[in-house]
Amino acid sequence: MSFFFALVFLLSATSALGVVVSRRPLYAALSLVVNMLSLALLFLVLSAQFLAAAQVIVYAGAVMVLFVFVIALLNPTRQDSPVRDPRQIAAAVLVGSGLVVAAGVAFVGEGRSASFSLPDTLPGGVQLGSIQAMGSALYGDFTFPFEATALVLVVAAVGAVYLSRGR
Amino acid sequence: MLFATGAVGVLLRRNPLVVFMCIELMLNAGNLALLTFSRVHRNMEGQVFALIVIAVAASEVVVGLALMVAVYKSGRPMDIDEMSEMRG
Repeated sequence: MSFFFALVFLLSATSALGVVVSRRPLYAALSLVVNMLSLALLFLVLSAQFLAAAQVIVYAGAVMVLFVFVIALLNPTRQDSPVRDPRQIAAAVLVGSGLVVAAGVAFVGEGRSASFSLPDTLPGGVQLGSIQAMGSALYGDFTFPFEATALVLVVAAVGAVYLSRGR
Repeated sequence: MLFATGAVGVLLRRNPLVVFMCIELMLNAGNLALLTFSRVHRNMEGQVFALIVIAVAASEVVVGLALMVAVYKSGRPMDIDEMSEMRG
């Protein structure tokens, strides 16, 4: 089980590097698709079944398709020249290593609690992450965020239509 | 880790589409952290939050890409350093 986890982790780390490093934006987009699919596998390990399916359908299926379409529209073979300014590179390396150190401190300081071995059922008998749990949470405790998200989506759609009107 | 990779990518790449993709990487990394804590505390709140993050990120991508297409059709400096002045 943990071998599977290590494999998926390597896949997602490699594809994340692929997104950042690839010269052509199309390769970066494909790498991001691989990353999102590997994250969906990790979501399954974390017993978030509904979110794994939602990730595949929404993110890898719709958002990345949109990305690929826009890249194909905007000159896909264009090579991207990396930044030359050494101060910017130094700042990026500093930020990156600072974030990695912060993650390491958080990981080590928290202690390896064995909470993953607890059963993944919520009180009431439903399984954590199943459709039943998600539905009762969304329509029960989190009704307001749910409706607010619908409003956000409508606003985004209107904004996109307005921006693409072409003057 | 994913977050750090995405952040370095945002700072170092010039093509705005790739910068967008690195932002998506960071959002996904945040989702992963949310779901991990939801699993550890055996609570649905992290998963609902992550679902809303997915929805918000999708709408942000839509608006951002529409903006990129509009920029492309007007002038053409498809480069973050030259696009740093919002005009028009």
